[in-house]
Amino acid sequence: MKQSIYAPNQLIEYVYFPTDGIISLVNVTKNGGIVEAATVGNEGMVGIPVLLGGDEMVGQAIVQVAGDAVRMKADIFKREVTPDSTLHNLLLRYTLALMTSISQSVACNSLHSVKQRCCRWLLICHDRVKSDYFELNQEFLAQMLGVQRPTVSGVAITLQQAGLIRYSRGKMTICDRRSLEAACCECYGIVKQEFERLLKDGVAQKWNDGNRNGFGLEAQIQQQVNDQLEHLH
Amino acid sequence: MSAYSSTRNSVSNHLLSALPQQEYERLLPNLEPVSLSLKQVLYEPNAPIDYAYFINSGASSMLNLMQDGQTIEAATVGKEGMIGVPLLLGTTQIPLQVIVQVPGDGLRMKADVFKAEVYWGCPLHTLLLRYMQTLMNQISQTAACNRLHSVEQRCCRWLLMTQDRVELGSFPLTHEFLSYMLGVRRASVSEVAATLQRSGLIDYQRGQITISVPIELSVIFSHS
Repeated sequence: MKQSIYAPNQLIEYVYFPTDGIISLVNVTKNGGIVEAATVGNEGMVGIPVLLGGDEMVGQAIVQVAGDAVRMKADIFKREVTPDSTLHNLLLRYTLALMTSISQSVACNSLHSVKQRCCRWLLICHDRVKSDYFELNQEFLAQMLGVQRPTVSGVAITLQQAGLIRYSRGKMTICDRRSLEAACCECYGIVKQEFERLLKDGVAQKWNDGNRNGFGLEAQIQQQVNDQLEHLH
Repeated sequence: MSAYSSTRNSVSNHLLSALPQQEYERLLPNLEPVSLSLKQVLYEPNAPIDYAYFINSGASSMLNLMQDGQTIEAATVGKEGMIGVPLLLGTTQIPLQVIVQVPGDGLRMKADVFKAEVYWGCPLHTLLLRYMQTLMNQISQTAACNRLHSVEQRCCRWLLMTQDRVELGSFPLTHEFLSYMLGVRRASVSEVAATLQRSGLIDYQRGQITISVPIELSVIFSHS
């Protein structure tokens, strides 16, 4: 937990394709405040600046739910993921979906209640871990939502009393997903719809397919760049 | 050949003016001058995108429109950028509205022409991918800013960002519009504007805002 993958404004060495863990893209302010901009799981890639040619990231990427990923050296990525490849085109579309997700967080962070935002965040995690159960530190959840820990604690108790989740000692269980969706703001649905529109066709059909990267990485990469990937544990 | 100037140096848009002359000349016949009026809607959410816009003067906003009618800005785009990143990334819509917030002018290119002419590896494409990253940085920073910072700080930030883009000491701006930009009630905006005006940092009259002391504004932004 809390492994930082990139330091701000440093050359990115690797791009990461999570296969079951979750990575948060966060902004850290001068006085230590942290707010999450986006969540990346097996639907995506961490290291978009390498794709776009910027090569560095202003914010940080930290591991939020421990798990596995495959990674590729940035220079190899640039050489192998050529513009005519399916992966390249998918990644461009993914970049736009990611932008939509961050834009929606701008609205959500300003306009919606902590309870709504917490539900959104849990649904996003639930989609990515492919399990009803995951480990989640309360302090970390507070950071992700940009609020104080007692506030998050209060929200978690409310959701638990309503039977939506079970949460104790850093272990989160999603009990009633449908009610969680009902308690959430519209932001979750808008982003999910956009991800599906942009990525659900073609090889990205593997979006809902067990412990695989949403880009259909297994099939893609074996043909293209198999030797270049390293597995992380 | 477009009637627009044939040398890139005379174009104010930073992306176009940064292109090699040859690349600029290649694209020029497909760039059509266009004036951008206040509140003009360039894109509706989830509707097909007709044109990419390169702004020369003024500024536009990418807005989240919520079901209950609330509106909040995700990003500001002026002469440093382009409106139409979905075209760059292989699609023709976006769930955001884009409207003109400060009137001005620009050059636009038809979506299908853009897709054919701005191909991977050409100088404009390379530049636009990097612009995409700056746009995402801006939006991420706004997500943090809206969560952590006061309305006064955010108002200062917005005024500075807009001034950077329009490069004018004075531009038209209504309280209503600024409240959309910041995602707060109009009353909160009026209060902040009054505070900044009393401090002598801005002058705000009849929908026209003048930034008197931009340096002090940036000090407030970072320290208050």
